[in-house]
Amino acid sequence: MDGLTINSFFDNDGGFDSANGANEFVDLEFTYADADTHLNEIAELYSYTEHNEFQLNVKAFEDQMEMYKLKPLWQQLSKEQHISIILKLIDQLEVLDNTMRMKAARTLLYLAQGCWVEVQSDEEQQSLSRYNVMLLYRSGVFQAFIELLNLEIENATTANVAIRKIAVSLADSVDLRVILSVLYIITEVMRAEKEISESEYKDLLEAFVQEISQPIGDELLAVKLLGMITRFCSGSAPHFPMKKVLLLLWKISLVSLGGTDTLKRLKNEYRVREGLPVITEDTLEVSKTMRASSPPPTAGNDDNIPKRSRPFRRVRNIVISESLMKQSSLDEQEQLGMELEAQNAENEDDIPDYYRQLDDPMNGDKNGSALNETEFHKQPSIAASIPPSQHPTLPWAPKVRQKDIYQFMDISRRKFIGYSLPDNCETTAGLPKPICEGINILKRHLYTSLADVQIKREEEITRNPLTKGEDEVPINPTEILYQAILPNLPQYMISLLKILLAAAPTSKAKTESINIMADVLPEDMPMTVTQSTKLGIDVSRHKEIIVKAVSAILLLYLKHFKINHVYQFEFMSQHLVFANCIPLVLKFFNQSIMTYVGSKNIIPIMDFPSCVIGEQPELTSDLVIGDSEPYSWRNIFSCINLLRILNKLTKWKNSRIMMLVVFKSAPILKRTLKVRHAMMQLYVLKLLKMQTKYLGRQWRKTNMKIISAIYGKVRHHLNSDWAFGNDLDARPWDFQAEECTLRTCVDRFNNRRYFSQISNAVRFPDQTNLSNQNTGLNSIDNGVFNGIENELNINNILNSENLIENDDAFDLTKEFKNNYETWLKEEVYCANPIDWNEILKEPNLILINEIKNSIHYSTYFMKSG
Amino acid sequence: MVMEAQSQQTQQILRRNRPGTSAKEFCQWPDENFEEMDSTLVVQQYIQQLIRKDPSNVEKLLTMPDGQDEGVWKYEHLRQFCMELNGLAVKLQTQCFPATCTQMTATEQWIFLCAAHKTPKECPAIDYTRHTLDGAACLLNSNKYFPSRVSIKESSVLKLGSVCRRVYRIFSHAYFHHRRIFNEFEEQTFLCLRFTHFVTKYNLMSKDNLIVPISDAGEIPGESEA
Repeated sequence: MDGLTINSFFDNDGGFDSANGANEFVDLEFTYADADTHLNEIAELYSYTEHNEFQLNVKAFEDQMEMYKLKPLWQQLSKEQHISIILKLIDQLEVLDNTMRMKAARTLLYLAQGCWVEVQSDEEQQSLSRYNVMLLYRSGVFQAFIELLNLEIENATTANVAIRKIAVSLADSVDLRVILSVLYIITEVMRAEKEISESEYKDLLEAFVQEISQPIGDELLAVKLLGMITRFCSGSAPHFPMKKVLLLLWKISLVSLGGTDTLKRLKNEYRVREGLPVITEDTLEVSKTMRASSPPPTAGNDDNIPKRSRPFRRVRNIVISESLMKQSSLDEQEQLGMELEAQNAENEDDIPDYYRQLDDPMNGDKNGSALNETEFHKQPSIAASIPPSQHPTLPWAPKVRQKDIYQFMDISRRKFIGYSLPDNCETTAGLPKPICEGINILKRHLYTSLADVQIKREEEITRNPLTKGEDEVPINPTEILYQAILPNLPQYMISLLKILLAAAPTSKAKTESINIMADVLPEDMPMTVTQSTKLGIDVSRHKEIIVKAVSAILLLYLKHFKINHVYQFEFMSQHLVFANCIPLVLKFFNQSIMTYVGSKNIIPIMDFPSCVIGEQPELTSDLVIGDSEPYSWRNIFSCINLLRILNKLTKWKNSRIMMLVVFKSAPILKRTLKVRHAMMQLYVLKLLKMQTKYLGRQWRKTNMKIISAIYGKVRHHLNSDWAFGNDLDARPWDFQAEECTLRTCVDRFNNRRYFSQISNAVRFPDQTNLSNQNTGLNSIDNGVFNGIENELNINNILNSENLIENDDAFDLTKEFKNNYETWLKEEVYCANPIDWNEILKEPNLILINEIKNSIHYSTYFMKSG
Repeated sequence: MVMEAQSQQTQQILRRNRPGTSAKEFCQWPDENFEEMDSTLVVQQYIQQLIRKDPSNVEKLLTMPDGQDEGVWKYEHLRQFCMELNGLAVKLQTQCFPATCTQMTATEQWIFLCAAHKTPKECPAIDYTRHTLDGAACLLNSNKYFPSRVSIKESSVLKLGSVCRRVYRIFSHAYFHHRRIFNEFEEQTFLCLRFTHFVTKYNLMSKDNLIVPISDAGEIPGESEA
């Protein structure tokens, strides 16, 4: 194959049944983390087509050093000289002449890359890169490059050239890529530094986190990058190198908001503050101890990608028809019997197979390595030799929601006493003892989430807007980010999803609106077969990296918003749902998932820094594609991220679970179970669990193995009837209402907490710029009252408009005619803040009621408007 | 230097320039020992006192009192430089016009962009001067980066370098294009000399970029040198 060797583990083209027979039972040794290794994360920044540009960096460095009359040997210079050179380069970054500027930028990039000409090994390059990056950051290079980025974003000439071109190529984004690369390397080195517990650069790291978590100039860096993405998607800047922008956005967010550890710590911190018990279970840890289930045998039927791939129906508003309801009208008793029969009728061989989730093949290998997989599979004795410590019990402690207790008590009361006592879960009078015991058990497993507490507080504030003020909103990186992206959040979500769609492996080239390949395609198309193979791999790799970055960004934001305030999370997730995120993710999984997970779109020798260190082999000869890993880290990472996003969006939301059903997610998810990784399977099983009750008896009957796996692996909610669906909440006619109620709550939350600020920002941009310097503390302090005031004012205007229109029909009251001048003077011309204390001093019920009404009215108005 | 006997008297002295103070009387109050200063703006008071006494005594000016926080020390010095630089800017306004000096340049090779805007722009020299000084004042007075003048975060101290870099270009422009004004100003204030020593001492700028010649003896370079 023209000198190409492919390290193949999975035979990607052939059917899996034969080729993978042996691998079928090998668990993937994949460990989920916030990001891949530092080396890989750096390597993924560059595409293989950028290879030639590395030499330009050295050239720039050598030229600069010649200008300074120094030898181009960085390591031979003293630290003082290093600093002096860096300071001179920064000075050069601010000159008018573009070539001079970019020369300095390239030199700095070469320094950030670790002066690879002078080193012999990867380790040496990394440690030099780390040293340089810290020096660069201390000297203010990051700040200087952000200004350079501002300049380059607004560079109208390059944008115009790119818009007119038919095929935008690498050449159109040369300068931008240099700038983004420097920013990315600094950020990534800082991220790696964050993982070292005793870092000598602790102070710099803290300064860095602080810097990127706050607006630089008047804009948060994350918002600037999101803005770039939106501009790219709107077509006005087709030359923006999206991969680098997305990677930078991801890393910036990760470093500023924090990864899994921070999330865990914050969650428990917030829970303690609310008086809730600390959570000790860690999904990552628990799933690590789990064993992957073997894929359901029936999955083989729809194993290969469906031959006639059904195009997804574009469902804008979910039409819920009766037919989507559970198909069985059998009563529960009968149903249960049927299921048991069905279970017995299952293939005998299959049954031990799904208990195998408790097996340890490692054990098996030690005991008798001669056993081949199939034999091993049939030996129940090995299953018996499992160490009992593996999973003596179910992996998760069961949970109960407050709602479940109410429901259980209500049903019991109606059954035994014949009346209901709404909102009372204390009195057990008249209930038989077993029921009381049941209630006690439910209460013991009661789990109150942060979201519950936050929702409750919101309800209270809504009910008593005057007495129950807003607590001071704590300013943390998440809050700053939310406030900054709130005005344009819908556009940002749409843009991110558009890119995700364009990068999905199943999507055809037909998505012409955006071309995410601009930063990988070279100006000249490849001439030889090797070159085009190389380009093919490069393109696929490029797409995979984009998917990785987008999925990581979305998941990270969702997770952080969720613990910060549940309505921030709901706002983002609602916009994701409106932008068709659910079908998009399903479409993503509707591919040959094993191919994707095992893909080999990597040429190790072309990766940075291998591609520049040491003797370079002739590129045409003996190019090894793929590494020795049996799976692609980034692809499993993306898959898990996307599954988690899907879970986050649909959890406890019947209307969205229905979308999973409408878009026929079950067979797609079932195929995904073939990937033998416990954590990934766990998220798939969760998704299947929530929709099981809608899938009908037939599905359950043929998929008992999945049902068992769900039982064994997913957390139980006591009393939850997930498989058979007698849930009162699941009535389809409530779905629309459910989404609308949620929307109202979210809007009310946003209006109250942020609307006053935003409207001020629109009206008085200058003032807000000034007050921005005070970190917006003032504006948050008076959030509640301002909000109401604003709404009142809008209401006034609204009323007066009505008055003009209905002049004839409407008689003004006498009081109004007599006093309107005073009112105008006090309320409109002077626009003094209303002295609410005045009202409280002399309780005037009518007035308060009026205010309340107008608040309701104006929220309604704003929604419809 | 310490005047024990006068300490009683010092108590009554209010160090204020009341409205209507004549130019002769301006700031004419006796010196105070650094240790005895008890306002919240000690460092500024101390620096200004030293400058009033002898602006050319760079060595003394830049010697940090014991136990002083270095971040604050650097911050207060830079603040003082920017304040005094406004004097130079006022003088430049009489000679440096957007029509004559269309670009911010020192030697021909280096034309600088004005970083005070969201996207750096090519401003005339006098506008660059104004914008940069305004920008510096904004940054140094911003609540976000410098909420306190007693202790300053590391991340904010890192911002001082870029201010120095930009502010220095005002000196170099004045020196190369408005030498008379520069010399007049420098004779009175020794500002460029002080600034040069300051950025060198704290490694805020590269020596090679300090293009305005300064002799170590602290003398003002004459026209003949250039």
